[in-house]
Amino acid sequence: MSDGELAKDIGPLAALTIGVGTMIGAGIFVLPRTAISQAGSFAIVAFTVGGAIALLTAFSASELGTAMPKSGGAYYYVNHALGPMFGSIAGWANWLGLAFASAFYMVGFGQYIQQIFGLSTAVGVGPISLDPVKLIALGGAALFIAVNYIGAKETGRLQNVIVVILVGILAVFTIYGGLQADPSNLPPTAGFSDTMAVTGIIFVSYLGFVQITSVAEEIQNPGVNLPRAVIGSVLLVTAIYALVLLTMAAAVEPGFINGLPTEQIAVVEVARILLGPVGAIAMLLGGLLATASSANASILASSRINFAMGRDGIVSESLNEIHPRFATPYRSIAVTGGLILLFIAAGTVETLASMGSVLHLIIYGLLNVGLIVMREGEPAEYDPDYTVPLYPVVPILGTLTSLGLIVFLPPVAIGLSGALVVGAVLWYFVYARSRATKEGILSQFILSRSDEMPDAAVNAATGVQPDGGNYRVMVPLANPEHETDLITLASAVAKQRGGTVVATHIVSVPDQTALAGAAERADEIDETSERLLASAKEDAKTFGVDVETRTIISHKSFEAIFDAAKSHDADLVVMGWGPDSHGSPGRAESAMDELTEAVPCDFLVMRDRGFDPSRILLPTAGGPDSDLTASIAKLLQAEYDSEVTLLNVADEGERDDAEAFLEAWADEHGLADATLRIETGDVETAIESAAEDATLLFVGATEEGLLRRLVGGSIVLDVVDDVECTVVLGEKHRHRGLLERLF
Amino acid sequence: MSDLLENVLLPVASEEDARTSARALTGHDYGTVTVVHVVEKADGAPDKAGVEQREQAAEEMFEAARAVLGDVETDVLYGSDVAETIFDAAAERNSSAIVVTPRGGNRFVQLITGDVALHLVTDTDRPVVVLPDDETDTDPPDTDE
Repeated sequence: MSDGELAKDIGPLAALTIGVGTMIGAGIFVLPRTAISQAGSFAIVAFTVGGAIALLTAFSASELGTAMPKSGGAYYYVNHALGPMFGSIAGWANWLGLAFASAFYMVGFGQYIQQIFGLSTAVGVGPISLDPVKLIALGGAALFIAVNYIGAKETGRLQNVIVVILVGILAVFTIYGGLQADPSNLPPTAGFSDTMAVTGIIFVSYLGFVQITSVAEEIQNPGVNLPRAVIGSVLLVTAIYALVLLTMAAAVEPGFINGLPTEQIAVVEVARILLGPVGAIAMLLGGLLATASSANASILASSRINFAMGRDGIVSESLNEIHPRFATPYRSIAVTGGLILLFIAAGTVETLASMGSVLHLIIYGLLNVGLIVMREGEPAEYDPDYTVPLYPVVPILGTLTSLGLIVFLPPVAIGLSGALVVGAVLWYFVYARSRATKEGILSQFILSRSDEMPDAAVNAATGVQPDGGNYRVMVPLANPEHETDLITLASAVAKQRGGTVVATHIVSVPDQTALAGAAERADEIDETSERLLASAKEDAKTFGVDVETRTIISHKSFEAIFDAAKSHDADLVVMGWGPDSHGSPGRAESAMDELTEAVPCDFLVMRDRGFDPSRILLPTAGGPDSDLTASIAKLLQAEYDSEVTLLNVADEGERDDAEAFLEAWADEHGLADATLRIETGDVETAIESAAEDATLLFVGATEEGLLRRLVGGSIVLDVVDDVECTVVLGEKHRHRGLLERLF
Repeated sequence: MSDLLENVLLPVASEEDARTSARALTGHDYGTVTVVHVVEKADGAPDKAGVEQREQAAEEMFEAARAVLGDVETDVLYGSDVAETIFDAAAERNSSAIVVTPRGGNRFVQLITGDVALHLVTDTDRPVVVLPDDETDTDPPDTDE
């Protein structure tokens, strides 16, 4: 067995018990009374409808799980498919949803302990009076947090035993109940809205199956076992719930449950009638085990989500530090634990349950949407072993029913969850956007088809893209001939700055061709794009820098470059330019907005005559644009050991001043080892003659907007055409006011 | 070089442990080193931390070891019994010795985490060399190699 397989030690039964054990918890042991008193015999329907909604999402979760068996489960799929903004929502909702659910499980645990030991009076300390249930819940939560903080591998195996015991207890209960069931006992049925309201409340009983996907990487043969465990656990649990509810409704006289004193637990009392004291004791034990195992599994799962969020830059990686001795993600568990204690102290049973449900329903909705995006976006690496039946009906229904059920939950929970979603979006923009490293399949899909998609969609997709917080060098590519040289220059800079190269194939189509028409040639374009971008990738790889690739179809190709530079948060654009490059120089429309716009980031424009950085000539008279070319020259020097010559063209008789200036300037720009050269006379002639010895000439733009006009063809720089070496023109981005930077 | 340290298996449990153990080893003549980290598996149940997370942590430990020892062979191992997994790895590589540094910790901590070092020493089928941590050893005894 290979090491990779050794890491996978969760068999099919263990995978199933993760789902069943997490789901069978406080939901079925605490909520039947509420369900029956509010929905009558339709409580059975409510539990079945809840199971059906969960099942739809279980199909989607199974497909995504077999395609991406990664730590983090639902969060990971949403982030991968829909990008980090939705990832932030899913991550926070999943994390907090688990904390709320754990708090709910522990309150259920508290109720069972209270029943067993008969604690009923409130404990009063001065003016503060604490409900004993809450006190026990807090104590129990602290215990399970501590167990996970220290980490005991035994708890995992114990879970399997607990689940078998639980299913056994509930099976005996329903069999006995079935024997004594009498349809005449069934309470009256409730209306649609009451039934749906109960479905919303009890949905907290169906939160466990997605947790199976969060340990997908540890499951043996996930292609087969993961769908079986996810779907199987939902089916099994739904059947158990429906039978338990049927027993409770039909095996005891109508009105029995409503007539119970509030401190008694309905399931326990029904078991007492059916099976005597043994039944009550078994049910009390079952309730304890069920709530404990649910809480334990949820705390464990939440640290996986934290890990996945940290890896994608949505939360700080320091949260996921592994304890040097316990080998547990102790910080993540401590923070989650703190939240659980806070929620227990602050919330009522109903709030905790409904918060857990709403937040999970949001994730389920996003998960189904994510599946649709993965199917439609067809990323090459998406190859699930299991596929949902009746696509796209199942995921669409899954989305609608999950999000639709939220409406029936208490307004307080909806409001709080809405606030959390808004908070998660703000979190993304304020904290995570500059740190997040992953782009979703959705935005890749939209952006790669910029012109087929409505503008609003494209703008929205670019607006929320992560910028990774690192240095991004965009390389617009059109002519395959110059691809290698441009990528080489860009990669050398990116390597020195620890940044990323974004190779962008700009497909220019004539104005006469509708963009939709161009899309018909999509195959042809795709092929050229693929070839061009693949070789760009190869070239950049030789430098070991990260590469991203994009294709943009546009009428005005260099306008597209400016726009793309803005929308992709490029820090530097390295583009080629020549008679056969982007757009035809001198086109009327290109001059339209040249007067107002300068470059959106630093720009290097290369007139490529072969890339050879061995002897660099850098003429300068100071100014921000030669600051840029100087810094690039310095990076190339570090990469290639280039010989750099600085040139200043002075008036006759000012040679000394010029030399002093050049020396100071070289020093200031870290180029003290460069050769200094002073010439007199006509600037262009001087540069041209100096360039005869050079392999690469850097020219800083002398004024703002120069490059735009040059590339647009509205001015001509003779020097670029007259020299024989490759020329790189640099124009620095002028930092504007905050408002302008934002838009 | 003594034959004992000819082919060393160096199990590490944390980044700090990796640094300490690697530093301790550099004080001696040694041949080849394989740095390993055991990801403790729950054997049929979810682990206390995700495998990917543990592998990432292992990579950080290996980095710390490489910073001291240079480019050495590393391996992530998986097993529900840490000591047994280390023995198996040592047998597989025909290691001349397993090298560890004491990690301290009081009885309680050792009780709840399981004392791997003790298990290593008591159940071993090959030499286990316990090297003192150079940094904490403020008054090193002057011994001749």
